[in-house]
Amino acid sequence: MTITELCIDAGVADHPQTAEIRSRLAVPARVVPGPAAVFAEIWAAEDPAGRGKQILYLTRNRGPFLKACPGTRHYTCCGYRILHIGSYCTMDCAYCILQAYFHPPLLQYYVNHEEMLSELENCLAAPVIQRIGTGEFTDSLIWEPWSGLSRRLVRRFAAQRRAVLELKTKTVNVGGLLDLDHRRKTILAWSLNTERVIREQERGTASLGARLRAAAESAAAGYPLAFHFDPVVIYEGCETEYRRVVERLFAAVPPEQVVWISLGAFRFMPDLKALIQRRFPDSCIVYGEFITGLDGKARYFKPLRMQVLRCLAQAIREFAPHCCVYLCMEDDEVWRHALGVTPAERGGLPRMLDEAATRHCGLAAGESGR
Amino acid sequence: MASEGEWPAADPRRVPLDEIDADDLRFRITTRSEIDPLAASIGRLGLLQPLLLRASGRRCTIVSGFRRVAACRQLGWREIPARVLSHAVGDARCARLAIGENALVRPLNLLETARALALLVATAPDGRLPAEDAAALALPSHAGLAARLMGLERLPAAVREGLLEGVIALAMAEALGRLAPDVACAFARLFRELGLSLNRQREIVSLVTEIAARERRAALAILSEPELEEILRAPEADRGHKARLVRRRLHRRRFPAIRRAEENFESLRRRLDLREHLQLTPSRDFEGTHVTLTLTFETLEELSELRGRLDALLLNPALRRILEGKAEGFAPEPPPPAAHRPSP
Repeated sequence: MTITELCIDAGVADHPQTAEIRSRLAVPARVVPGPAAVFAEIWAAEDPAGRGKQILYLTRNRGPFLKACPGTRHYTCCGYRILHIGSYCTMDCAYCILQAYFHPPLLQYYVNHEEMLSELENCLAAPVIQRIGTGEFTDSLIWEPWSGLSRRLVRRFAAQRRAVLELKTKTVNVGGLLDLDHRRKTILAWSLNTERVIREQERGTASLGARLRAAAESAAAGYPLAFHFDPVVIYEGCETEYRRVVERLFAAVPPEQVVWISLGAFRFMPDLKALIQRRFPDSCIVYGEFITGLDGKARYFKPLRMQVLRCLAQAIREFAPHCCVYLCMEDDEVWRHALGVTPAERGGLPRMLDEAATRHCGLAAGESGR
Repeated sequence: MASEGEWPAADPRRVPLDEIDADDLRFRITTRSEIDPLAASIGRLGLLQPLLLRASGRRCTIVSGFRRVAACRQLGWREIPARVLSHAVGDARCARLAIGENALVRPLNLLETARALALLVATAPDGRLPAEDAAALALPSHAGLAARLMGLERLPAAVREGLLEGVIALAMAEALGRLAPDVACAFARLFRELGLSLNRQREIVSLVTEIAARERRAALAILSEPELEEILRAPEADRGHKARLVRRRLHRRRFPAIRRAEENFESLRRRLDLREHLQLTPSRDFEGTHVTLTLTFETLEELSELRGRLDALLLNPALRRILEGKAEGFAPEPPPPAAHRPSP
């Protein structure tokens, strides 16, 4: 959806970042005393989740910028850290948890970058391998057309060797990053899905072909890559179609440049079902065979997850036998069936990913400089 | 509302029945249509309460007494005692009198309440519910509730009938009202036939609509599938049994892999021959990684006996299949290739 209005928190009206965004985003802007009026406007809308994508609220993040990935204890989490640059998304995917996660669902961008970078400095000072991403509460690259943050982050991560930044997206907004001296400390990552899922469930996202072309350009610019088959949606013929996506992926990018590929079967908080039914009446995505998982989320019946994830993993292995493939929020039983190994047998999922990052991105835990 | 001194009707007089327009139903509140018992009562005791009519040219409109008119006609009467309002008495006043004649002498059912409210709104000068009048007439005066109830007027006939019979609750009637009329009627017929609780009705609506959405078919087509029709037509089965079969059928349609796995698991569990004192329980929906084996005993001798059975259990291939066959939904393993099969 297109941003039609800019609301600026009075506290950041004079912030340089605000001025920069205003100069690049040609929509009507108004200064508001605080979030209350904007929140009220979103809640009053007939479709708050849709309205919240049209108003961009510029504000200051008053909480921490770095957060732990919100995994649950029942399933294995990747343990990466979230750099909270903003929230929500301009694209409109039927399955998107963010519609129900934020109260209200509102596009917010934090302009107090100086505080964010200060917090990041402290984090990067720790003598441990870290994986940090911006694509959990938003798409990492939707902000590119009017924010220079990604360039700044890529440069900052390039100047150290302990951590890797993952920018995860469904856009093709990598043009502003390709000329940077990234030193392989930034992983450019795409969510992938079948043509059918993209067409039916992912409004406003780049096509599969466009995503793969952007990935190929990024690979040519030397960036390490990652891909996320998440959510994997189960439907008649899905295994063949996911296999086709894998074939196209490795026709586009060299396997040795792929740091990791995650697989995550569609899962959702129960509240999301009614929201999807209302906002996406033609979507069938919530009519699969779901049960209530141990974390309270609706999940595909386990044997179905085991089968489709195994099929997908096997397809990936054919093209990229040495690529780190992992499952997002699954237990050992699913891991064993889909990948033939449990995280514990590899020292735990965080360690698996740290090692992949170390291998591909040239990280070294004890070193801080180049 | 009229004050005590404003009673507009004249004294009762006898009105020829053929001067009464029984087709003008605008003030009808009652949903009851049976006439025989009333006719029998009137035939035995006479008409105890005169009608309330309104003059309308040479004929009269019924304000109150629709069933009494029908009963007296059935009895062959030519005239009937009635108080006749002047033609100058407006619709709003007649509406209040009609509602009062019903609502103040007996409890109205939901549809009658809906009719009464709709009549009040329709005759209000501003088209809005006169809350104080509604309260005085023992009707709900809360605008939200009144709006919900008035929506019942628009329900398909089968749903309204189910509501009147008490088979369909208000919440379900409203839910059915949001569906296409033919689909709502099909659900209503099913619920009336099976006598399901509200929760079961909700379950069935959800199952059918989700199957239809997933398969991109009409809900009516799912409800008309031969397998369901066959269950409903079975003459020897009682309602409870039919309801179980219908639910099972719909569950199987909605969750085929889950139901198949449950059945396969149950088949394997039977092959374990656990009998009493041993119980094997899977995790809920097979989501967890464990199965639970429960031993029940009171004496060491019983425990010793169970130990023997546990030893046999460990050798039972069905147990291995339970532990290792989840990914295949516990489906029976394919037989070994012919060359390796043992000779009969």
